[in-house]
Amino acid sequence: MANEIHLDTLERYLESDARQRTGLFKSFLAALKQLRSQDPKAAAAAARRAVSPDLDYTSLLALKRFIHAGKAGPGQEEALRIAVLGGPTTLQLVELIRIFLAGRDLTFELYECEYGLFRQEILTPGSGLDCFRPNIVFLATGARDVGVFPPVAAGREEVERMAEEELSGWAGLWQVVRERWGATVIQNSFDIDPWGVLGHYSLRHPASRENYLALLNRRMAEQAPAHVVLHDLNSLVVAAGARDWFDPRFYLEAKMPCGPECLVAYAHSAAGLVLAIRGKSRKVLVLDLDNTLWGGVVGDDGAEGIQLGQGSGQGEAFLAFQAYCRQLHDRGILLAVCSKNDEEIARRPFRLRDDMILTLDHISCFIANWNNKADNLREIARRLELGVDSLVFVDDNPAERAVVRRFAPEVAVPDMPEDPAGYVAALARHRYFETVSWTREDASRAQYYAQNAERARMASAFADLDSFLGSLEMRARIEPVNPLNIERVTQLVNKSNQFNLTTRRRTRAEIEALSRDPDWHTLTISLADRLGDNGLISVIFLVQSHGSLEIDTWLMSCRVLQRTVEQLALNEIVAAARARGCHTVTGLYIPTERNGMVRDHYGRLGFQASGADDSAARWVLRVDESYQPRHTYIRTEKTHERDSRTIAAGLSAGL
Amino acid sequence: MNEIRERLQQVFRQVFDDPDAVLTDEMSAKDVDGWDSLQHINLIIAVEKHFAIRFATDEISGLKEPGQNIGSFVRLLERKLGMQSRTAGA
Repeated sequence: MANEIHLDTLERYLESDARQRTGLFKSFLAALKQLRSQDPKAAAAAARRAVSPDLDYTSLLALKRFIHAGKAGPGQEEALRIAVLGGPTTLQLVELIRIFLAGRDLTFELYECEYGLFRQEILTPGSGLDCFRPNIVFLATGARDVGVFPPVAAGREEVERMAEEELSGWAGLWQVVRERWGATVIQNSFDIDPWGVLGHYSLRHPASRENYLALLNRRMAEQAPAHVVLHDLNSLVVAAGARDWFDPRFYLEAKMPCGPECLVAYAHSAAGLVLAIRGKSRKVLVLDLDNTLWGGVVGDDGAEGIQLGQGSGQGEAFLAFQAYCRQLHDRGILLAVCSKNDEEIARRPFRLRDDMILTLDHISCFIANWNNKADNLREIARRLELGVDSLVFVDDNPAERAVVRRFAPEVAVPDMPEDPAGYVAALARHRYFETVSWTREDASRAQYYAQNAERARMASAFADLDSFLGSLEMRARIEPVNPLNIERVTQLVNKSNQFNLTTRRRTRAEIEALSRDPDWHTLTISLADRLGDNGLISVIFLVQSHGSLEIDTWLMSCRVLQRTVEQLALNEIVAAARARGCHTVTGLYIPTERNGMVRDHYGRLGFQASGADDSAARWVLRVDESYQPRHTYIRTEKTHERDSRTIAAGLSAGL
Repeated sequence: MNEIRERLQQVFRQVFDDPDAVLTDEMSAKDVDGWDSLQHINLIIAVEKHFAIRFATDEISGLKEPGQNIGSFVRLLERKLGMQSRTAGA
């Protein structure tokens, strides 16, 4: 009985908006404590769900006591080793980053060094950092870590020269990080305070402090190599307002980089980039319709009667929100609709109003019915073949938000203000869609999903799968990892969960290194058919080990399941094994919570089981004359041998 | 019990995760397990938030210095809160 009471307290807190949560926080903590004494794991899970950038510094630290962050267990991916190296102290920052990463169930370890010692840690062999062997090095630095500022009388050329010199020092650190540990760097931009002595004139004066820092930021963005991810600290200063951000008292007394409450935004933002590197950013924005995309209720007011634009402030606010969603769509975020409506009525504004900025073409999945929204969101994830945890759901109605938070807790559900003028900022502040790269394939993602719907429709029109596959006229391009595709390869390696045999995550720098290693052989497959281009959809890393070629990584986009890509890939793997004089190909299946669909992948392809333990199953295939090439409907277009050599040369030149 | 000290005690209990902590005037930082420089900053941050006040730079470290204790901290809070209400009243 007592048990039920505190579970209800927990759920009530977790389903509420931040405004109600404040008043419930104390009882939530008390209930967590009670739960912890009976079931620490459940308490940790509830605490992780409560992590939010809406909480203040002290409340977040209180949650931390319930969260068992970090370390890998069986069946989990390997812990990501993240080093946070500060100019200012990172004591508080690291604790908050830990909380935000745990809130998204990342498996990780954190390392930090004494403040101001980031250069020594990186440059000294055998340092604590060196022993830690980081995957990610976050340089949590700022304007205070700039070596020399130009004197006020310095001319433009001297300022430029000084900036180049300053940046070459930073570039040296990045290079060591890459060469020594193959790690990704997260590098802060320099924070710019607006108290400059030249006032408005500083904008025109090359040697002003503001101009110099802005120049460093711009040059850094232009020059930083691809394994360096920039974290725009200065944009956080602007968002918070410099008066709130800079709190010299805490710097003077504790070497903290900014005021304590701004530190929450700072940690949340940095953690967002780590999650993006790990492919854990959200991918789909699911939208309610009435009072979310337009004012009023289309079922009552009709398509003509809803409020949208029309010169009214509020109507313009809905349009502005649509425009923002449209921009997210254009950069590759999928949009979906989840509305309590009759479907025909829900579609009317899209069809009948030419002032809608969003049209049905922008919506990858449209669900309007009277079922509960938690179920509908699961259905949307299923149709898009994505995890439920890749969804963000925006609804103006607090009751709908509560239902989804309670019954589909994997979905991110931001609070929305009552006034639609605040919608854009309310959504943007959560940084759901952070990315560390952008490729043209991102922009066409929505198109792939639309084409897939068309393929599914066609498939049902054919009597059998074979004649359907034959009719698609599929063509594959098979290439090694190269400078042109490494962005996309890194993306897939870090985010594909379902069709992924080993779920081994790697940074771009690590992938680059193995693509140059003669013991390794990399394959990527891009698929096109007569309906369109699917882009790069499969990545395979092979490593020679004794007389066998081992499949270290085999992943594929679920968009192209059941298209005989696997058979095509196996033929390529066998060819690579033979070319190296290997007699067998070894496949490994490492089970995770998400990759059950490939449990019998190797069995289906004719491999023999060759032992298994708790963490992995091993499969072997002989590649002598007995191997019959597997049947595939895909025609191959190989990259010319000479091209791949040129490309390999480009890779070793350091991209 | 002094009302400010009681509120301070609440904050203190949360920061140090000790639901039974009782503050006395004579207590100082060295008497409390875990009152290190990191927890000290966390306490200052929580107190500023709870009482909606702002310490001056030398007040932030003052509480940890020799001769300072909870009693002197409570008097500092009284002074700051009093100044605030006078400003508000003026």
